[in-house]
Amino acid sequence: MQDRLTEALKAQDVEYADIRVEDTTNTWVNFRGPDLDTIGSARTVGGIVRALYKGGWGYATFNDLDDLPKRVREACETAKLVGRDTTYFAPAEPVVDVIPARLVKDFRQVPLAEKKATMEAYNRIVLGYHKSIQASSVRYADYFKTVHYANSEGTYIEEEIPDVNMIVAAIARDGDVVQTAFETGGGADGFQSVENFHEKAESAARKAVELLAAPPVAGGKYSVITNQVMTGVFTHEAFGHLSESDFVYENPRMQELMQLGKRFGGDGLNILDDGSRPGGLGTHRYDYEGTTTRKNYLIKDGILVGRLHSRETAAKMGEQITGNSRAVFFQHPPIVRMTNTYIDQGTAKFEDMVKGIELGVYAVNSIGGQTAMEMFTFSAAYGFMIRNGQIAELVRDVVLTGNVFDTLMNIDMIGNDLGWEPHGPGGCGKGGQHPLRVGLGGPHIRIQNCVVGGQQ
Amino acid sequence: MIVEKIIERAMRKAQAAQAIMLTQETSEVNFENDRLKSAESSQRTQIDLKVIVNGKVGVSSTTDPNDVEGVVSRALEAAEFGSEAHFDLPDAQSLEPVKIFDPALLPLEKPEMIRMGQQMMDMIKSYNPEILAGAGVNKTVYKVAYANSKGANYTADHTEFNVGAGGALVRGTDILYAGHGIGQKKRAVDTEEIAAQAIEYFRLAETIVPIESGEMPVIFTPSGLIALLLSLGLAIDGKNVHLGASPLRDKLGQQIADPRLTLVDDPFVEFGPRTSAFDDEGTPRKVTPLIEKGVLRNFIYDLDTAGRAGVKPTGHGSSRRLTNLVINAGDTPYEQMLRDIPNGLLVHEYLGLGQGNPINGDFSVNVFLGYKIENGKLMGRVKDVMLAGNAFDALKNIAAMSKEREWVSGPFAWFSGLMPYVQVGKLSVTAK
Ligand SMILES: [Zn+2]
Repeated sequence: MQDRLTEALKAQDVEYADIRVEDTTNTWVNFRGPDLDTIGSARTVGGIVRALYKGGWGYATFNDLDDLPKRVREACETAKLVGRDTTYFAPAEPVVDVIPARLVKDFRQVPLAEKKATMEAYNRIVLGYHKSIQASSVRYADYFKTVHYANSEGTYIEEEIPDVNMIVAAIARDGDVVQTAFETGGGADGFQSVENFHEKAESAARKAVELLAAPPVAGGKYSVITNQVMTGVFTHEAFGHLSESDFVYENPRMQELMQLGKRFGGDGLNILDDGSRPGGLGTHRYDYEGTTTRKNYLIKDGILVGRLHSRETAAKMGEQITGNSRAVFFQHPPIVRMTNTYIDQGTAKFEDMVKGIELGVYAVNSIGGQTAMEMFTFSAAYGFMIRNGQIAELVRDVVLTGNVFDTLMNIDMIGNDLGWEPHGPGGCGKGGQHPLRVGLGGPHIRIQNCVVGGQQ
Repeated sequence: MIVEKIIERAMRKAQAAQAIMLTQETSEVNFENDRLKSAESSQRTQIDLKVIVNGKVGVSSTTDPNDVEGVVSRALEAAEFGSEAHFDLPDAQSLEPVKIFDPALLPLEKPEMIRMGQQMMDMIKSYNPEILAGAGVNKTVYKVAYANSKGANYTADHTEFNVGAGGALVRGTDILYAGHGIGQKKRAVDTEEIAAQAIEYFRLAETIVPIESGEMPVIFTPSGLIALLLSLGLAIDGKNVHLGASPLRDKLGQQIADPRLTLVDDPFVEFGPRTSAFDDEGTPRKVTPLIEKGVLRNFIYDLDTAGRAGVKPTGHGSSRRLTNLVINAGDTPYEQMLRDIPNGLLVHEYLGLGQGNPINGDFSVNVFLGYKIENGKLMGRVKDVMLAGNAFDALKNIAAMSKEREWVSGPFAWFSGLMPYVQVGKLSVTAK
């Protein structure tokens, strides 16, 4: 493939061009309720050529690999229709590298029958847990993707990306009240990462049943403690997306808003994005422009010190490249994305955080979030009220919302217990590209005056 | 034809098989941050196969038309461990004629698409140069070929045209996004009107006004109706009904909404964004009344779910996706609807939709684009406001529906359909 891509790139006549070809095989097994819903497998081959000319991008995407030089020419011609100004594109050292997968139990060798039997066992645990369990959803998926990347500067990278993931969800009903709870699992190191999940399957069922009896949280302003997963989601959703410099680089007012050196939080606040962290969901050696990934501080001691870049945005803003140009599938050009984003741990003990709260909410895990620049909203899987310095009753429908700038300033305690969201399906969505694998993490944090939505 | 070849190969071992092949060419131009940013050509091939062997289902897919052997053998393997087939593949049937192909789109090339985008950009910039404008024009031509072992054999040539414009306006720490777009299967499109609508959203949002928490009447714009339709869509999904997860599961024939409301799924709208004659399971499409005068009339079923539930498939595809939704026009002029509200909210877009338990009908969303109504007038945009309630309660509690209707479609839309403005009695609004 290296020779084919290198040869095809000879057809380019622009300032920069690259090709990415992906070959993916995947399988899935889904149970819904007592029955097997679907089982199957697929193979997807395709690629994208990018051409850059006078600041304009031309793209050609394709499933048919037969005539790669033609795709290169197509992208170049398109770029010439678009390009009218000056090209900004930061240099990156050419590299040739091959990154093989490392699997303990190779899921490609595991027969579909075994994948099915493993999931069926978890499904039975959920359905048999309690009479109020109405339905279940157990979804297993794996993929083995080989990405070939070459650019007109001589870089060639071949990376094997294996992934196994699973979600076990329980749906409980009592009258018109329906509650869902889930656990996720999986990993990049093989099929064993979804084995021995029986206890977790049961705990999903238990949580769904418990939530039936839990009251919805009353809407209002509270002192809120978020657990590690929720901190990770908050960091990613509320702040991380603002650090993606494609939002900023052509927008002088956003540059003002996200000016380096500006104070965003207290002295103890450190936010990082690290694509090189071993074992992270968003970890890769290179991004999709051949840039080496690295540990990037976004906020250091409460001060904004950096942001995430592609080679284009880095050049436009005169800042260092960071290795954050990523894409979900070959149909998409890479855009500026997070990798593993987290608030670094502080010194506070969880008990001490709770102790100081008269009336508050402890928000646990996440079932989704969304942002529009400074506004964010995200839902906890469940929560607990905090009353008189103690964790009190379970509550549901905990939705946190607010303005990120205020909320970061309102963090008054940062825990000493950095943790990461467990492996699972799903990921981040941006610009129609979903789901991109990202790592989310952080310690427990405490936020004052946080708006919790709900009916009053 | 490739689909027929695949069926023939699969039938050497299977008792039933269906194959569907998509071949697609797309051209697209994108303006971002005040300038032409990129253009793209894309070519796509996708083949999906479903087989039934010994009463069990297996599926597989490939992007490679030369991989007939591979796709067949993977589907046969999956069928060994597959779910039980609760259905027969449909027989060959005659299809409703539909308007889905506009030859006028074929000669449309990127330079003209760039010109269209530029025109919308210029309009937005001349309204307010501070807006960071964006626009997109996307033309797609595709062919769908379907065949099954019962002799059904359909092909359809589609064209699709998506045009949108919008932008971001940053003032201090406030960032306002607004935009408008359309999606349809024909070329005739008024770019001026699209830009004008986007500008209108900016104009209304220029002033930010405070709002007090409380219960108040809320008008949902045609796009804003997604807050209610999302839950309804999940609850009428035959799979959720069959599994007992839908709160509407035993409500067929019962009054579930205000008697003025009729909601129909119409796959035959001329050049409609989701118009087509057959679905991806070879089921001919038909008009499906969902709610008639407030009474729940139908759930939607794919082949498998229909088989399990003992009913007929409704032609919404294997993923049970609604086509063009149409709500009847009401009898209140929009202006009068506004005029009659002393204190309320008009909602257009949300953040956080679909979180929580949407199938229950409960929603609690951040109002991303919403306007305060005071003494019958839109006063300006509200910020940091949560809207909460229950979609099914709201449908019963409709106060008025507008005479005017608008198409919701295109790149910014969550669903496609023709909708009026709908006013709901009272909902909980929480301001920060
Ligand atoms: Zn995200």
